[in-house]
Amino acid sequence: MTLRSSAIGLALLIAGAAQAEEFKWASTTDPQTMDPHAVNSAPVLGFLNNVYEGLVRRGKDMRVEPALAVSWEPIGDGDGWRFNLREGVTFHDGSEFNAQDVLFSYERASGEAADTRSWFAPVSAVNVVDDYTVDFMMTAPNPLFPSSIANWMIMDQGWAEANEAAVPDKETGNFATLNANGTGAFQVTAREPGLRTVLEPFDGWWDTAEHNISSAEFTPIQNPATAVAALLSGDVGMINPVPIQDVSRLQGSDDVEVIQGIEARVIMLGFNHEADALKYTDDAGKPNPFQDARVRQAIAQAVNVDAILATIMRGNAEAASQLVSPAMSGYSRAHADRPTYDVEAAKALLAEAGYGDGFSFGLKCPNDRYLNDEAVCQAVVSMLAQIGITAELDAMPVRNYWPELREDNYDMYLLGWSPGTFDAEHPVRFLVATPNEEKKLGSWNFGGFSNARVDELLPMIQSELDADKRQAMLDEVTGIIQDEHVYVPMYVQPLVWGTRSNVDLTQRPDNFFLLRWVTIN
Amino acid sequence: MFAYIVRRMFQSVIVLLVVGLVAFSMFRFVGDPIDNMLGQERTQADIDRLRTELGLDQPFVVQYAKFLRGAVQGNFGVSYRQGRPVSTIIAERAPATLELAFVSGFLAITMGIALGVFTAIRRQGIAANVIMTVSLIGVSLPTFLIGILLIYVFSVELDLLPSFGRGETVMIGNWSTGFLTASGLKALILPAITLGLYQMTLIMRLVRSEMLEVLRADYVRFARARGLSDRVINFRHALKNTLVPVITITGLQLGSIIAFAIITETVFQWPGVGLLFINAIQFVDIPVMAAYLMLISVMFVTINLIVDLLYYAIDPRLRVDARAT
Repeated sequence: MTLRSSAIGLALLIAGAAQAEEFKWASTTDPQTMDPHAVNSAPVLGFLNNVYEGLVRRGKDMRVEPALAVSWEPIGDGDGWRFNLREGVTFHDGSEFNAQDVLFSYERASGEAADTRSWFAPVSAVNVVDDYTVDFMMTAPNPLFPSSIANWMIMDQGWAEANEAAVPDKETGNFATLNANGTGAFQVTAREPGLRTVLEPFDGWWDTAEHNISSAEFTPIQNPATAVAALLSGDVGMINPVPIQDVSRLQGSDDVEVIQGIEARVIMLGFNHEADALKYTDDAGKPNPFQDARVRQAIAQAVNVDAILATIMRGNAEAASQLVSPAMSGYSRAHADRPTYDVEAAKALLAEAGYGDGFSFGLKCPNDRYLNDEAVCQAVVSMLAQIGITAELDAMPVRNYWPELREDNYDMYLLGWSPGTFDAEHPVRFLVATPNEEKKLGSWNFGGFSNARVDELLPMIQSELDADKRQAMLDEVTGIIQDEHVYVPMYVQPLVWGTRSNVDLTQRPDNFFLLRWVTIN
Repeated sequence: MFAYIVRRMFQSVIVLLVVGLVAFSMFRFVGDPIDNMLGQERTQADIDRLRTELGLDQPFVVQYAKFLRGAVQGNFGVSYRQGRPVSTIIAERAPATLELAFVSGFLAITMGIALGVFTAIRRQGIAANVIMTVSLIGVSLPTFLIGILLIYVFSVELDLLPSFGRGETVMIGNWSTGFLTASGLKALILPAITLGLYQMTLIMRLVRSEMLEVLRADYVRFARARGLSDRVINFRHALKNTLVPVITITGLQLGSIIAFAIITETVFQWPGVGLLFINAIQFVDIPVMAAYLMLISVMFVTINLIVDLLYYAIDPRLRVDARAT
């Protein structure tokens, strides 16, 4: 009997071992910290979504679903939100999850030292009702609040305080920079910054596991050729991204697959709206033509986006008509048309604006931030030459790029924007609203565009509870942005991942790679 | 002698200080670390606060002085990217680079000398000519391309060796070594060849030309006349006399193997200090860049100092000079 049962046990063990698989993957950027509140960047939040969880999370289709909260409902008439927490959830170290951890994580993530502070701008107070109920009070009605905190991750109060990590420390680091203790499907078992991070499934996870991974190892590989070679040789099971120029080659291989999707990021051209004079080339000092909406429209009509997509992006991207992609909430279907590519019309517009003889100006562009960014800018330069305007391209690494934009050293520039809330309000707040340091508006509106109606509508959009009324206002704002040609949206950046053929996974538009959906056959 | 050493040491320190000053004056052209440290939703106030906290709002001379004050006490600051002391990070990464440099240096010397002797003795042979032609490729192809080619052939096509990384490592005290595991040794092969190929061809060509010179010397002819065997002539008499310039060059090249491992480490994602430096540049991680540059210049200055002292010991004319002044 004992012998038989142990034989069965052994057989089960072997069967289990055969099913569970080791998995390795690589990406260009190492998450710089394991602290979910220290750095608000996609590589960090995407990675930590495997380890930590929020009150809500996003599913495969980006829809918000319950995680550490089982349900939530509005309090009163837009006074706030009540979250009912899940019972019986434990952190990786075994301690129990309750409302105190939520309060603690709110204080930690909204404090002066946290990079995630802006998520909690609409919150006036957080009240613990009982061990499993928490109220978030709002300064103004905020229908989007629950979906805006999908990346706010809950940390155990006891663990953080015992390890002197109650406050995130970005500059010098603390215990939470290198260690993690979440409630998520995976726990960090080894962390060597910049080299490798090992995750293992958390046995006590509250949800049912869909994956069959026994351990997962992440390695940052900066050199794209090395990453492609690692995938082809089978040293890793997944890479993100695949260089655009290697896509067709990988598609030709039986051992690997290319998974493509549309990212949330829209690539656009921006202008200096405020400057009275051009700053670059021989025309420096002459009046700034980009203050004229007709000139901006001429640029929009002169750029042949389809040609850029067909050649530089090799058919892997989609044209964009507005500042968000159709996958985002609040996308304006009423304004889904781009300005048509029409060289003659563009020339006519220039002539009408008094620039029939053309002009020259400086175009600033990053060369390591977006997929093929410099090549896109070069194409734009040659397309603008067709309507008689000369752009002088200055492409630089992104570490030099943002300081240049902040100091207004450009006439026209390239920008990519991914809305953190997956809603059309986000780019309006950051890119279009009149810059206002105090209200934290327009912090990426480098060109200083300002429109009274947009500024008036923005707070109304933020607090409108009725979905139809809200969409009507977003439609109006999108219309203004399109009519004024504040930016020239060009395309939605593609997501291109490569996997071994035996790996099944889910690609989300936010470019987050979640291990809990990985199966290895 | 003592005065000479003191003078040379003093000069070395000045060189180091100047290198540091030049490095710090260049850092602001590398870019701005602030944007990498703050997320997309940062405000101007956040930017200003962090800049003041890191001392980036001060002139570079002040930043340099601050760095030197810390460096003298062995404190190189905290990495912007990792939030850990730079000295800890470099100590973690150094074994990978030193082991790689050691293996490729060893390969370069042994293979270089062996092939150099072979091509000198069999000057007219087909094999020698093939080796000489191939070595031309070794000198002229960039390291980057050689690495990618090797990965393509041996990892992707033949599936024999890993395409990146260091394999499994074993900790001995604070030293992580890849010498003790099969995967660690396999992982060493391609990067070591890539890094050592240029030095190997250099040594090979040097040995060959020195050897040809020596083989024409009178004492070799006399040895032949005495009826000594070829083996004794070639290896005991000729090779020994060939090695003097080879040792000088090899010593100097040792520094550059460590310093220029950067490209090889990037291609193979080799977790050494070179890769650390490249990542630091991308992130504008000033404390790491500063510490790495200072470390490399200390290494070069030390090697040069030793070479100078050796010359002093070897060359009597320097001593005469010193006494005269």
